[in-house]
Amino acid sequence: MVKPETSKEDIMAKEDKAKVDAKADKTVVRGLALGGLLGGCDPSCVDVKNGKIVRIRPMHFDWKFDRKSFNPWQFKRNGHTLESNFKGMPSPWSLSYKKRTYSPNRIKYPMKRVDWDPNGERNTQNRGKSKYVRISWEEATDIIASEIKRIIKSYGPLAILAQGDGHGECKTINTPHGHQARLLEMLGGFTQQVRNPDSWEGFYWGSKHVWGQGLVGMMDPSDNCVKDMTENCDMMLFWGCDPETTPWGFVGQFASRLSYFWTQCGIKQIYICPDLNYGAAVHADKWIPVLPNTDAAMQLAIIYMWLKEGTYDKEYIRTHAIGMDKVEAYVMGEEDDIPKTPEWASKKCGVPEWTIKALAREFAKNTTSIAHYFGGSMFRGPYSHEPARLECILLGMQGLGGPGVHQTQISYGGMPRAQMLKSTRFFNPQLPERLTKPTQTTIRAWGKQLIPKTLIHKAILDPPLKFWGTGGIEEMVDDQFVEYNYPIDEKDGGTEIRMMWTDTPCRITCWNCGNETIIAERDPKIEFILAQHPWLENDCLYADIILPTNTTLEVDDIVTNTRQGTQHHSVMLQNQAVKPVGESKSDYEAVLEIAKKLGKENEYTEGGKTIEDLQKEVFNNMELNQLIDWKDFVKKQYVVLPTADDWEEDPPGLRPFYDDPEKNPLPTPTGKLEFYSERIAKHYPCDEERPPIPKWIEKSEMHDERISSWRAQSYPLLLMSNHGRWRVHSQADDIPWSREVITCKVKGWDGYMYEPVWIHPDDAEKRGIKMGDIVMVHNERGIVLCGARVWERVMPGVAYVDHGARHDPIIPGKLDRGGAINTISGEWITSKRCVGQATSGYLVEVTRVTGDMMDQWKRDYPDAFEREYDPASGLRFDAWIEKGGK
Amino acid sequence: MKAFYIDLSVCNGCYCCQIACKDEHVGNDWTPYAKPQPETGQFWLGITEMVRGQVPKVKITYLPKMCHHCDDAPCIASCDVGAIHKRDDGLVIIDPEKCTGCKLCEDACPHDAIFFNEDLNIAQKCTGCAHLLDNDPEEWSVPRCVDNCPTAALQFGEEKDFKDFIAEAELLNPEAGTKSRVYYKNLPKKFVGGTVYDPKEKEVVIGAKCTLKDAQSKESFTAETDNFGDFWFHGLKDNRSYNLSIEKGKAHKTIEDIVTDKDLSLGDIPMEL
Repeated sequence: MVKPETSKEDIMAKEDKAKVDAKADKTVVRGLALGGLLGGCDPSCVDVKNGKIVRIRPMHFDWKFDRKSFNPWQFKRNGHTLESNFKGMPSPWSLSYKKRTYSPNRIKYPMKRVDWDPNGERNTQNRGKSKYVRISWEEATDIIASEIKRIIKSYGPLAILAQGDGHGECKTINTPHGHQARLLEMLGGFTQQVRNPDSWEGFYWGSKHVWGQGLVGMMDPSDNCVKDMTENCDMMLFWGCDPETTPWGFVGQFASRLSYFWTQCGIKQIYICPDLNYGAAVHADKWIPVLPNTDAAMQLAIIYMWLKEGTYDKEYIRTHAIGMDKVEAYVMGEEDDIPKTPEWASKKCGVPEWTIKALAREFAKNTTSIAHYFGGSMFRGPYSHEPARLECILLGMQGLGGPGVHQTQISYGGMPRAQMLKSTRFFNPQLPERLTKPTQTTIRAWGKQLIPKTLIHKAILDPPLKFWGTGGIEEMVDDQFVEYNYPIDEKDGGTEIRMMWTDTPCRITCWNCGNETIIAERDPKIEFILAQHPWLENDCLYADIILPTNTTLEVDDIVTNTRQGTQHHSVMLQNQAVKPVGESKSDYEAVLEIAKKLGKENEYTEGGKTIEDLQKEVFNNMELNQLIDWKDFVKKQYVVLPTADDWEEDPPGLRPFYDDPEKNPLPTPTGKLEFYSERIAKHYPCDEERPPIPKWIEKSEMHDERISSWRAQSYPLLLMSNHGRWRVHSQADDIPWSREVITCKVKGWDGYMYEPVWIHPDDAEKRGIKMGDIVMVHNERGIVLCGARVWERVMPGVAYVDHGARHDPIIPGKLDRGGAINTISGEWITSKRCVGQATSGYLVEVTRVTGDMMDQWKRDYPDAFEREYDPASGLRFDAWIEKGGK
Repeated sequence: MKAFYIDLSVCNGCYCCQIACKDEHVGNDWTPYAKPQPETGQFWLGITEMVRGQVPKVKITYLPKMCHHCDDAPCIASCDVGAIHKRDDGLVIIDPEKCTGCKLCEDACPHDAIFFNEDLNIAQKCTGCAHLLDNDPEEWSVPRCVDNCPTAALQFGEEKDFKDFIAEAELLNPEAGTKSRVYYKNLPKKFVGGTVYDPKEKEVVIGAKCTLKDAQSKESFTAETDNFGDFWFHGLKDNRSYNLSIEKGKAHKTIEDIVTDKDLSLGDIPMEL
């Protein structure tokens, strides 16, 4: 707590103005969005006083520079103008981030699971149940080094799985994920958990086959689209998109400003989603509720209407697309005797027939773009490649690339180009390889042996595995036609994994099949699980050794805000704000401690490079001396990259292809939009889940998750799951100031703060559920306890729970109290040939939890209910520490 | 004189204002302006969410509420020890060192803007971040909540600079008669909406003339169905009873006893053409 230095005597009672020392001792700058991958934030300022964080506030871009030097851009339409407000627009959790740094759930010292003995009984069956004792860094790194050596000697280096992918804090030198992969590579290699494009599954496995590689499958290039849409669109379809949620995690709130501006300009905004999402709540001119994962039916009916009424761009299709005839045959019912009429679609998607017809006509008549900010539930369900491919066809039929006809990530792409910036992709290629290497673990499949993240549990419980395409986020579309095996051939070092090393301990709550993952993590085959993390949460509870890492406010770093979505690109020198909490070290430093014990210190530090050496390397690689010299940069702490003078000349999106498809082909085999994929037909002629043209898939061997299923008799609601409003995946679930917001948590009658499940009043009434009740969301795969939000923000027939809530196992693998809904998500992956996750659009039932039921659980699992708990921030570190331990 | 200006039409419900207040006042002691706010549960600036309407016509209104820094502040009058005072700039401050914890002000405030801190035994509320405005004017010309607002839904400044805003503004509780210094634009009024369709053709009805008549005052409003068959009546008064008639060509439909005790979606209304 900061105490004012002024004493009471100094205060002049009659004068308004009292003296208080409110000024900070120092102010440092921070990117506090949680997308990680080296940067991309709306910047904040952090005021520090007496060694404590006093406040976090938006940084004003003109704090130390003249606005004119930014060469600010403007967008104009119908007499309205939008320009930068010269202020960072961070999300609420960025602005309350000191609660993350000072969270009561911080891991303060290294720990060992109390009944895990590397020289004796390992008790893997007690992971998630038994507690921890404090050990020293010395002891921890000794055990870790000796385990690594033992495992490499006994099984080979590929017996170690690096789980080093993920989002997280924006840092470059101390970036939160992937350092262990760098070290393990020095030791002979590792098995990589390959992160699938979890927010883009449909685009990655679907759209790429229509328009080529794209940006993780989304339309690319998308340069300068924001200006083009502002000037030309009559209508925007926010299809499964929430501009008031997802942008928060990855940049900030500019998408909100842009949406308000578009309303002012008269651009109609139509939201198509099962829930009245946060964007729809304030921006929608119309909300069309659609049942989860049934969008493909509505899309097919729209195509039907256009074909029937001739309201599409036939000339464009003739010159720019192939396979329209096959799509037409399917849609009109020539192929299967089922015309995909609005009447047919209505029964599947829950949208009235007349509304589908009206939407089809409005879409055809008005200049329309489709908005996503990735991450919507629509592209994270079973067969999500189908709605994604159908969207490409819809846009193609209306002249994709023409004025105002784009797929847009709103402001994540398409903003005015900054001078000097060579890329606005996920991670900044201008950085030295030494610094980007760890982040490669998130976006590329570069380990010697690979396991898709969606199949980790299967790899442990049911090997060997075959899969087609690694799912690596930045891998090329051709990879989807390559067959992979786990384990790889023995002569290449192939072996099953025996050790897991995670700096991403959120597999259970953020990925598919959480409960199966728990069972896998307790398997005796896995001899050692090492976790490093700032907070004791989720998969940490299944680790044998846990190392405490620290948060961005505790380290020196540098960040390149080159990703789009903020109003100005910048580079920021992130000076340490406060000293590390407890014995924590940065993720980079934690791995360094282990490297030292394995004789790899020199290699790991590249001959002892200091933080300042690396900061300077970034400065030089970014060629910032064109704008500012190093000394002045150190003084000012940031620099804004000005808008390029000629940004308005940049062709918007796919305009060159639109203008001349022969000269500017798409990166597909034919150079055209491939509504029909010859490649898929040739490689996978029998794939009924992803056929050569996109279709409606009712069910398959892998998924039976439609309301037409016999399972729906027991589990009649469709579960929808999205990126959380108050979290970034699993990050930030412990901030007390967001937990008291009504859409964040629901306080149960037992005082526990439950994750909300939204259900419609009609569905609630049938089940005797009232607002605020404790309920269980369940299916054959398990039970998740939630708090009921009974309201009109969700359509009937749907239960809506965001993924990523903090796992609180009552019965590990069966019953979760924290609201980790993915523990009961679909058993498998996107479809047989696509290792994406299918974590939205599956069948569940919601049932009221009575006092008797709760009492029974409390009797059966007393330990689980006795864990120390604080409603303000949730589960606490102390809950898992052995009482009377060191 | 300073005042707050809140435009609900651009409030996206991000809660950054509510969080700013906590970031500034929880764990920080700004005596004599304010002692620390409890970790949770107090909302010197608090958002109320209103879910309006029914599927599929639903809107959310986020309503930031705070101390009104009234010119006729009942809290000042209620305080027996003179712990509450009005500053020359209009802000009303509770002196945390003079406050005896009698709770009279909490009861006197008609805006529910005063909170009681049980641990410190004092009444607490919004200070307009006067400790910053007074002591660090180079850095601070507005309170934390206003600086945190990404869309300028929440503004602060001299009344003379916000004349246009004030001309269009309303007060949240005008009946309290306390001369509030918090001005609101676009406070929610009731709406009635629906979709008209032809059940035979299974098509929306476009261009139908909809007339909503106030049964009491006979006041009437008209709207036309758009290309989705939708009609909307915004800005209606509370608790009125209306009759709706819908006409297109020879077709006609009436719906009676529509009561605006809440916002209403009348759903999909069949009307055979």
